[in-house]
Amino acid sequence: MSTDQNLQNLQGNRACALAAIHAGCRLFAGYPITPSSEIAESMSAELPKVGGVFVQMEDEIASMGAVIGASAGGVKAMTATSGPGFSLKQEALGYAALTEIPSVIINVMRGGPSTGMPTRPAQGDIMQARWGTHGDHPTVVLVPWSVEEVFAETIRAFNLAELLRTPVIILFDEVIGHLVETVDLARFQNPQITDRKWADGKIEGFKPYRDPGDGVPMMARPGDGRRVHTTGLSHGESGFPTQNAGEVEKFMSRLLGKIAKHRDEVERIDARCCDDADVVVVAYGITARAAHRAVSMLRDQGIKAGLFRPITLWPFPESAFKAVAEHARLVLVPEMNAGQLILEVERLVSDKTTVAGLNLFYGEPITPQQIVEKAEALLSQ
Amino acid sequence: MSDVAQSEFNIRKYIREDLFPHFMCPGCGHGIALRALLNAVHNLGIDKNRLAIVSGIGCSGRVGAYIDANTFHTTHGRPLAFATGLKLARPDLEVIVITGDGDCLAIGGNHLIHACRRNLNITCLMLNNEVYGMTGGQVSPTTSTDRFTTTTQSGNYEPVFDACKLAEGAGAAFVGREMTLQTPALRDLIMEAIAHEGFSFVEVLSDCTEVFGRKNDMGDSMEMVLAQKSGFRSNSYGTAVDEPFKPRGMKTGVLHRSERLEYAAAYQQHHAEKSST
Amino acid sequence: MTERETLKADVPAESLVHQRPTNVLVVGVGGQGVIMISKVLASLSKELGHQVKQSEVHGMAKRGGAVFSHVRFGPAVFSPTIPEGEADILVALEWAEGLRWLPHLKQDSGTFIADTQQIVPPFACRNRSRGADLGYPRETVPDVMEKIANSFALDAVGIATEMGVAKAANTVLLGTLSAALDFPVEAWKSVISEFVPPKTIEANIRAFDAGRDWALSFDRQTHLKDWTGRTVRSPAEVVDSAAGITSTLEITEEWCKGCDICIKFCPERCLAMDARQIAILVDPDRCTGCRICEWLCPDLAITVHTQTNTDSA
Repeated sequence: MSTDQNLQNLQGNRACALAAIHAGCRLFAGYPITPSSEIAESMSAELPKVGGVFVQMEDEIASMGAVIGASAGGVKAMTATSGPGFSLKQEALGYAALTEIPSVIINVMRGGPSTGMPTRPAQGDIMQARWGTHGDHPTVVLVPWSVEEVFAETIRAFNLAELLRTPVIILFDEVIGHLVETVDLARFQNPQITDRKWADGKIEGFKPYRDPGDGVPMMARPGDGRRVHTTGLSHGESGFPTQNAGEVEKFMSRLLGKIAKHRDEVERIDARCCDDADVVVVAYGITARAAHRAVSMLRDQGIKAGLFRPITLWPFPESAFKAVAEHARLVLVPEMNAGQLILEVERLVSDKTTVAGLNLFYGEPITPQQIVEKAEALLSQ
Repeated sequence: MSDVAQSEFNIRKYIREDLFPHFMCPGCGHGIALRALLNAVHNLGIDKNRLAIVSGIGCSGRVGAYIDANTFHTTHGRPLAFATGLKLARPDLEVIVITGDGDCLAIGGNHLIHACRRNLNITCLMLNNEVYGMTGGQVSPTTSTDRFTTTTQSGNYEPVFDACKLAEGAGAAFVGREMTLQTPALRDLIMEAIAHEGFSFVEVLSDCTEVFGRKNDMGDSMEMVLAQKSGFRSNSYGTAVDEPFKPRGMKTGVLHRSERLEYAAAYQQHHAEKSST
Repeated sequence: MTERETLKADVPAESLVHQRPTNVLVVGVGGQGVIMISKVLASLSKELGHQVKQSEVHGMAKRGGAVFSHVRFGPAVFSPTIPEGEADILVALEWAEGLRWLPHLKQDSGTFIADTQQIVPPFACRNRSRGADLGYPRETVPDVMEKIANSFALDAVGIATEMGVAKAANTVLLGTLSAALDFPVEAWKSVISEFVPPKTIEANIRAFDAGRDWALSFDRQTHLKDWTGRTVRSPAEVVDSAAGITSTLEITEEWCKGCDICIKFCPERCLAMDARQIAILVDPDRCTGCRICEWLCPDLAITVHTQTNTDSA
């Protein structure tokens, strides 16, 4: 029996809550929804211990609103939900993106649409996470495949949210949320923490939405004497609403472009056995674990297979993916949905290679065998 | 509450002058309410650096931008949710929500009742002009019986909310109502509401002259403001379901006051007890 | 058509029966009844067997923003909008809006019908202080008559007010418009009756007749003479009646939207509205400093200074 206190058996949802507190989250606002509720439950127990606030709000929308409000006040905040709740949060998510108020949103994906299969896994919100709110907006979406990675990516989500001043979404599937694995917390003893770029210097003439160069404006902390205006209306550098085409164009270009300016920090991938791969399997979340196994099964049969796993799902790591996929004979995209990420994959490489999907959406995880069979069938065609 | 201010109230110290003239229509009651609020802020000696104004969407939502403070113009119906997060995160800020009858009672009704129940130390001013003005004059949850709006072309047939009774029933620590016609009284009421520990709800009877007044032949701005007193809203407030309001039966002033434990204090107290045991 | 000939006295009469559609552009600011005029016209054209297209653009979803509506009718109409220089008739419910749209009027033969009413839109004009450039056009009626042969400027609001139906200025203009189009008078009246509140049908018909009679008895020379030397109320040229007044009442003119509340509530009646629809202090001696105007000004435009040291001076 191990006596190492750092080795702990943690459930994915609980790991997420602990990691959030590690990252400096001091307010959680949520609403009960399966299969994400353990995150709220853990937070309700843990946050008061560190002087933080847990509040169960009246609905999903209010939870998102409270998170944005807290973050606007300067406190790192998070909420967690699942597909139907994620839909309800979308308007506020767009508000957070436009006003550039950092926040972290966990979506533990379950079968859908509508109430669907609340206790069953799915990966149906890939496109909702990208395009769920209205209008053009920057999006950062992370998708871990293990409990340990849940821990790491939750911390990274907070860091990215602060760095980019934008909401960051983490997609789990129900399996990852409820999976218990041993995590070595030693790795997270002294995590690297990014804090917000608070406005300093002269108060007079401060422009809350001026680009300091990296596309991410300095934020005024309420009470610092700057007294800025924050609005969901399109605004210029001053923060006040404008319909001036030039000002709006400038604002929107910066807003949409700021993620690209930090691509190196944002993009994260895991590519295995891809260098010589004839078959590249693109997978994320729990499906990637099946794909990982499938790749070694295919290798055992003499088929050069590789796994490309985007940990940052949006923005999709385009160039890294193109580099491994363009020379493959086949790109296979297994997903627990009717085909969502495959649209992006096709957009990038369908002119260079064959792209095929394996789409199962009946509430059971995809097995390695199913991926192997699909790859074999496609290769024998 | 003392009427004597430390110094003479100069409204220009509390507004963003370069945004004036404001965008509101001629005769709009929201401007009068804005003055009353700022005068209350002045009299209470609130540091505007510590003042946070949170508003929703609609004509009422645009009022906050004119205040020289930390101002947040949020999404439709959600200012109370946003303000809850802000106040929990920053108890040092004086958080005041400006909302409207549609914003607060229709799309945001759920947040109102739970904000009242939770009893966090926030002041909520609901500017009630009986109509959705910004979108062109549609019926709202407080539009009086028989009034014409663009979505009740033959007159309103839906019952109305008594927002104050709703707030009291849901647990607000302080509930009051005043009309813009009685601006000094309105200021004093707002001062009491802000000073009261816990969730304070103030309904401000405002006027939409251009959209609602014109559609209902309610006369010019002056006549609309005067009519607040004559009880023309008599059907609007009271037990919405069974008893139509009697003329002049509309109560103003402080309607409810209680010393319930405030949410943040309750939270602290609870967790301190739990951790010590 | 004698009516049309009367209206087009200065250019050769031209048949309205042509293949191209007739284009009528109706402009004004929100709340004036632009849409009502175009609806009546569109409905009437349809009843009389034309193809009709009506497209409207509201500025703000609130009063005071610019509003315009294109009505096109004829044997066959395709595009819903009127290109620049192609409007046969331009009906303006507000003077400046009319002037702004003049380039849309057909050169030489277009007819311009305008109410001389001036509304300075609150959003179009940031600075309403004395002497400031309002960005409001200064062309007078004779100026426009010189440029546009078929121009008809009338005080429709005045006519309607005189008849006791101030709100029916748009119906007065419909009457004037009817004189420029070949539709039977009875058809006009029957359509108008459908569009106005039942209680006001009679008043609106009277307003319509008044507008039509005005047009039919129009005489260019008399009209020119009438308007020469007179201007359409020019906001910038108002006599500064408050000059030289020392008072403790401070009115920020740039912020005043002219709602009238202060004037009507003032117990001493010492405030008045000037020609620009801005509140001014006309009788400072009677001001008691009661602050009612300050409290009730929705525009935060009034401040009452009570300085005891100057009171005795």
